[in-house]
Amino acid sequence: MLDLHGYGPRLLEGAGVTLQLAILSLALAIVLGLLTASAKMSRSWLLHKIATLYTTLIRGVPDLVLMMLLFFGGQMALNVVTDALYDRFGVDWYVNLNAFAAGVLTIGFIFGAYMGETFRGAFMAVDHGQIEAGKAYGMSPWLVFRRIRFPLMMRHALPGLSNNWMVLLKTTALVSIIGLTDMVRVAAEASRATHEPFTFLIPVALIYLLIASLSEWIFARLQKRYNVGFGEH
Amino acid sequence: MADTPIPLEVRNIKKRFGDTEVLKGLSLTARKGDVITLIGASGSGKSTFLRCMNLLEQPDEGDLIVHGEEIRFKQTRYGREPADWKQVVRMRAKLSMVFQSFNLWAHMTLLENIIEAPVHVLGKPKKEAIEHARALLERVGLTARADAYPAQMSGGQQQRGAIARALAMDPEVMLFDEPTSALDPELVGDVLKVMHGLADEGRTMVVVTHEMSFARDVSSEVIYLHQGLVEEAGPPQDVLANPQSPRLQQFLAPKY
Repeated sequence: MLDLHGYGPRLLEGAGVTLQLAILSLALAIVLGLLTASAKMSRSWLLHKIATLYTTLIRGVPDLVLMMLLFFGGQMALNVVTDALYDRFGVDWYVNLNAFAAGVLTIGFIFGAYMGETFRGAFMAVDHGQIEAGKAYGMSPWLVFRRIRFPLMMRHALPGLSNNWMVLLKTTALVSIIGLTDMVRVAAEASRATHEPFTFLIPVALIYLLIASLSEWIFARLQKRYNVGFGEH
Repeated sequence: MADTPIPLEVRNIKKRFGDTEVLKGLSLTARKGDVITLIGASGSGKSTFLRCMNLLEQPDEGDLIVHGEEIRFKQTRYGREPADWKQVVRMRAKLSMVFQSFNLWAHMTLLENIIEAPVHVLGKPKKEAIEHARALLERVGLTARADAYPAQMSGGQQQRGAIARALAMDPEVMLFDEPTSALDPELVGDVLKVMHGLADEGRTMVVVTHEMSFARDVSSEVIYLHQGLVEEAGPPQDVLANPQSPRLQQFLAPKY
């Protein structure tokens, strides 16, 4: 029988952190991705430039570097602000950047750029006549988005989205760098303490695999749902 | 008569794409029960003119009055645009459009397509919308296809379904943009039959078409456009049976 030397509960807790981190980051990445795609498709020159800068920057710098930059740099930026508040206005307010929040923000921020490209391609694949029909029937832009543009876009976005999610899930392992106790960090600590790395790393690998398989099943169901009306392909 | 506003009035519409002026000042008045057909060669501007009527294209100049309400415009750095999009949304709900390529929403069944705008735009109770939709499906001969998706239907069925979707809005005016041009010849008849029926019951319609027999049989007015201008207009017995302009004579002459 597998002996986890009492690290079992902590490993499970770590797995919980990984999952929460991944899901919250995904939610943030989807919101940022939709905003980025909209900005890139907007006719405003400024929004277009900002979105392009964002995606170029994120996609050109390693995740690990970004994470450290955002975490340490973010804390420094916050300190500058809170110091200034104290010096100028006497406001005694200090924020310590929480590692979990920093993790969610960083991963969400990184994957928002990838999602942006996925969504932009998917939006452009929607037949323009479908959108025009919505407008011609008196739908407001929001209603056109909710009832027509979004569901039709999702059909094209899902394969890329599912791919991004898998990469995002594994990227959460990097947060141990900024001091967050996810399951990789627990496993690393336990390996060092017990000199039995495989006892911990194999279960960790299996948990990632389990989450990944479960997500594949969920994405397959979503794909089926958004393929309605388009036949069996 | 004075009390009922005119369903649709457009005055002096001008539109350019880049350096090309495609509409050079077109006007049209659709009174209740009018069937106005727009004819002309490709590139004459007839579809663009129709699309200006519900602002799928933004006219650079000209007025648009729907059911007595004038659409307000303003100048922006992107050109002339409606001042109040809410007004546009409200106005579009009174005009329903039938497209050349049908444009039924692909992810919805035919019945869902028909009730979509009545429920979400007009706020009609769903049950009532479904009852109305079923009656309309019967009228266009598609009762059996209510639960089919557009991809599972023939072009003719899709276009008759799209007409049912347009009727479900109880529109002031129906706009038809070459409704039979994308259909196989043997499917055109069914769609024209439905359109004949609509004209007979006094629907107000503006129709861009290449179907001269339809224009002759049901129009109250035929407008022949050439290069963004009205070349000849009037009742079909004048314009089609006795054309004055040499261009129209040539347009109407048998091609072989």
